[in-house]
Amino acid sequence: MIMFELDQRIAEQLTEVALNSAVQVRCGNSNAFMVTASTIIPLMQMFEMGGVYISANRGAVEIIEAFESIGIDVSKIQFIDLVSSGILGGTDVPYSNIHFVDSPIMLESVLLRTLYILRTTSSERNFVFLDSVNALAIYNEDRILAEYLHTFINTFRQREILSVVLNVPDQTPPLVLSNLDLYCTDLIDRGQVVIH
Amino acid sequence: MNPGRLVGHVTMQPAAVYTRDRCVTGIHGLDEILRGGIPYGSTVLAAGTCGSGKTTLGMEFLVRGALAGEACAHFTATEPSVKLLENIRQYAFFDMNMVDSGLINVFDMDVLYSWLGLEKASFELDDVHALIKAIVDIVNTIGVTRLVIDSVTTLCYKIKSEQLIRDFLFTLGKKLATLGCTTILISEITSATENAHWSSFGVEEAIADGIIVMGDVERMGHLLRFLQVVKMRGTAHSRAKHAIELTPLGVMLTPMLKWGAQSDKTSRWGS
Repeated sequence: MIMFELDQRIAEQLTEVALNSAVQVRCGNSNAFMVTASTIIPLMQMFEMGGVYISANRGAVEIIEAFESIGIDVSKIQFIDLVSSGILGGTDVPYSNIHFVDSPIMLESVLLRTLYILRTTSSERNFVFLDSVNALAIYNEDRILAEYLHTFINTFRQREILSVVLNVPDQTPPLVLSNLDLYCTDLIDRGQVVIH
Repeated sequence: MNPGRLVGHVTMQPAAVYTRDRCVTGIHGLDEILRGGIPYGSTVLAAGTCGSGKTTLGMEFLVRGALAGEACAHFTATEPSVKLLENIRQYAFFDMNMVDSGLINVFDMDVLYSWLGLEKASFELDDVHALIKAIVDIVNTIGVTRLVIDSVTTLCYKIKSEQLIRDFLFTLGKKLATLGCTTILISEITSATENAHWSSFGVEEAIADGIIVMGDVERMGHLLRFLQVVKMRGTAHSRAKHAIELTPLGVMLTPMLKWGAQSDKTSRWGS
């Protein structure tokens, strides 16, 4: 198991959010995984939540293996993989908690698949983790992505499901970024990373 | 205490609003679109392109009725009932016991034609009347309150005159409504754009009480299924396009993104 230092301040910030909150998590290119793990682990371990992890950034297998390498059990998380089917072309995976959507442009399908998973889950308290807005921005125009985030966040807020939206600000179009600032109730900002 | 709002000395009461009783479809999102469900006894055309989810929608409509204890019937003209049931068994919402216990009754149109001596290429007036009588008798005998005919297009191919198709659908719809049966007529269309007809023969859409259009929006080479309620007599309803997913739990709907509701201009679906 790889030793890994988590950002404990993220866990502290998460104690302030409610189930119907929408949290924007800003990170940089170099700390994305650390920030993701520092967010996911307290949600699962401190708050005993189940959840859905939407991966538009990398294949879900890669993410699961990265989590497992630092000792995180992700069996309570269902993954929606947007890149392996239509982009990488492979859905033969050794994990049963991965669902595939053909492409990151099928935004409504992602929402419906998430709602379907949440209907079947046994966890009383759930989160939806979107990884990431900047990855979705590669395939979707600004205005449709802004509209989608508006729908996405409000859909889960209405259902008292915590939405966490990961974002690398300097890779996100300004229109989307400003809308995200508007819709989200909380901000965890780890985007100002200086690499020495 | 009077709930009305006081304006000056006059208490304003909300106007009494008459609402028709509804057949709650039980389909996730559809009842919200229809403000509570399909008005009882309506004949609804579910018109869609191939693979758009018409058969699944129709079958789920029956399953939700059966779960509420209603007697349901499905007339299949496009595929044998055995094949239909095999395909639908993959969905967790479907339970074969509903068929075994007689809550969902599946009829092969070919078998019905054979019973009625209608094994012919085209139907005349008397044949059409015999077919209507057979369907109505089945509905009446079993006490069917939800009926699906899949598809009315295949059935109407045997009726050569447009006038006769009109009479068939009008008479059938009227008799089923009298029996309190809510009917979904599945119709196959080749295009679901705004310029398209919503039925193969052009007459079904005028006679039906409601029209639900199903098709695909092409977005950057991917097809997204959509559903749109174009018309529904007896209820206010949303006319927006909704994206649909066929999940093991049944059909799920969400409003389609406004900036993505039109097919790409170069696609054959939007031309």
